[in-house]
Amino acid sequence: MDFSFLLTQMVSGLTLATLLFLVASGLTLIFGVGNVFNFAHGSFYMLGAYLGYQVVTVWSLNFWFALLFAALGAGVFGALIECLVLRRIYGRANEGGFQILLTYCLILIIDDLVKLVWGAEYKSISRPAGFSGSLTVGDIAIPSYNLLIIAIGLVVVVASWWILNRTRPGKIARAAAVDREMLGALGINVPLTMTVVFGIATALGGLTGALAAPLRTVTPGAGIEVIIDSMIVVVMGGMGNFWGAWLGALLLGEVNAFAVAFVPEWATLFSFLVMVVVLIFKPEGLFAPRTTRKV
Amino acid sequence: MAGKHGWKCLAVGLMSLIAVPLAQAAAPAEKVIRIGAMYPMTGRPGLYGMDSVAAAEMAIDEINAKGVAGGYKIDAIFTDSKAKPAYAVRVANRYIAEDKVHFLFGVVSSGVGLAVTEVSKQNKVIFVGTDHAATELTVDNFQPYYFRVSNDTFQSMAAGALYLKEMAKTKPWKKIAFIGPDYSYGHAQWDELRYNLDRFGVPFEVVGEYWPKLSDPDYSAYITSIMKDKPDVLVAGFWGGDTVAFIKQAKAYGMFDKLTYFHPDAGGNYELMSAMGDELPLGLILSARHHNNWPATERNKKFVEEFKKRTGRYPTYAAEGAYAGIYAIAQAVEKVGNPDDADALVKALEGMKLNLPEDPEGFVSIIDPGTHQIMQVQAIGTTIANADFPPAKMMLGNWSVYQPADIFVPAEYIAAKRKK
Repeated sequence: MDFSFLLTQMVSGLTLATLLFLVASGLTLIFGVGNVFNFAHGSFYMLGAYLGYQVVTVWSLNFWFALLFAALGAGVFGALIECLVLRRIYGRANEGGFQILLTYCLILIIDDLVKLVWGAEYKSISRPAGFSGSLTVGDIAIPSYNLLIIAIGLVVVVASWWILNRTRPGKIARAAAVDREMLGALGINVPLTMTVVFGIATALGGLTGALAAPLRTVTPGAGIEVIIDSMIVVVMGGMGNFWGAWLGALLLGEVNAFAVAFVPEWATLFSFLVMVVVLIFKPEGLFAPRTTRKV
Repeated sequence: MAGKHGWKCLAVGLMSLIAVPLAQAAAPAEKVIRIGAMYPMTGRPGLYGMDSVAAAEMAIDEINAKGVAGGYKIDAIFTDSKAKPAYAVRVANRYIAEDKVHFLFGVVSSGVGLAVTEVSKQNKVIFVGTDHAATELTVDNFQPYYFRVSNDTFQSMAAGALYLKEMAKTKPWKKIAFIGPDYSYGHAQWDELRYNLDRFGVPFEVVGEYWPKLSDPDYSAYITSIMKDKPDVLVAGFWGGDTVAFIKQAKAYGMFDKLTYFHPDAGGNYELMSAMGDELPLGLILSARHHNNWPATERNKKFVEEFKKRTGRYPTYAAEGAYAGIYAIAQAVEKVGNPDDADALVKALEGMKLNLPEDPEGFVSIIDPGTHQIMQVQAIGTTIANADFPPAKMMLGNWSVYQPADIFVPAEYIAAKRKK
């Protein structure tokens, strides 16, 4: 087994892990701060992919603008959904059940919405100029676009850490995760905080959709394809834990990459096996959420 | 508040609501062939469902304009199958019990097809399969009330094996690898290709087998691993949008410079060409159950252009299957004289000759009486530049054509499978 193969396989795993993490980060952020399990998070990813397609292919504009447009579009749409729909079920008895039902309905609605606007045909966008080539390692090439995805993932990890830990809005968001009532008593506009957090999380979903579009198929139903693996990542990492989601995604991506290389017939099973092992030995996830830590 | 005019409108509206059903009840009962169709309308397979419905409606309009002998008109009900077997079974039962349909129709997924064929068998209601390819339906799970009017995976793979045999003369190959979805459709293709390679005496060495899950969005790890295996030919069994994702990702790794990509069942579906535009690599070897640019007959051109006129897009292969199914039903009712005698209709469908858009000059499709599987000419092509069907910039060309008798499931294969 030569080194260049192991390296390329690792990069393959990292690409998958980064895209998984970017979707899961939004999912876990909404759960951590708002205690909402947004089953429709994948639909914002899909919406981002379509917005990216609109900018790059239909309007023939710049790919980087497409990323921004997709993030903003999905974020604004997400904030509106939170404001107009989700807010109405906060605090109800059996809120969890309502959340699942409501966000599942959103999947169907957003799926049909993109079908109405863009049609059911599969869409695709080209990789941006400057990232259509590849780097050669041994006799295998690594696409430069995959390296770009990994780099953007790292930037999001660092920026999120900085915002959550070093800025006032980040501290407010973390406080909202612990005690919303207390936060309100301190004069913070809690509903607005929730809307903004939801908007940021869905913007992350939209950004990921546009970022993945040059590699994947843009189609109605694309959201469902990413939501299951993202849920695995979120559960493994500890529901609502940002770092946990990152570690979970890395673990899942790399296990998948090496399982494909060495035991291809069992590769799909391994993703689930990893989750089972993590949940047996650390049922609260790799990182327990802050709210459950003992003081 | 509604003004005077508003009240008038409301009154007229209410009257028409009452009057229309009365008028319908008063009219003499129309002679109707009732078809209960099921197609997925959402998610990835939604495109196939929408294309099937549009093409079936097109065929119904064409036939109803002329009328079926005996004064019958075709009336089809379309329901979203949700691509779920249990749900489709409920719909099929409702069609039979409440809507009193004469035919069950449609279905994109073989999983759904296998479930609906049981309903058809129990109720002795003919099920015309238009777009699902599992060979099991006409071989292992054969039942007399099931007919399929699009080709099965066996025919694609037999044609594929013959293509590879021919290719070895000009472009020697030995090592092959497979990648396809990890469910019956993927496994059937791989088993049937190897069976046919052996049957035609083609030597080969398998260097890798990969089974991603259906609709897996990311194939990077598979691509690098396949390239490590260094196959001469990569046989792909992807379905739907998975082909688009795989080709986009594999192209970035330079995979198509190092091996021959071979995808003979669903790879050549128009959706791939339309999604990828000029990004589609040249020289991929693909086929599908219908091609928009082959055969270049007037019948096929008319079908494709009419479809485009109705929907604003060119059809995926699902469309031609649904179109063929409606024509098969009309022809069977013409022959029997009514749509009520299921056993007579079965006899009429067995051995039926159909002139379809997919038939090249001088050929007609035939429904094999032993399996109820349609026998058609199969064409495999390679990707070449062709912008006649926008948004596609590439289409298939350099066709190799295979005769139905050469690629049909052999009797010993059927016997062995049915024995089990």
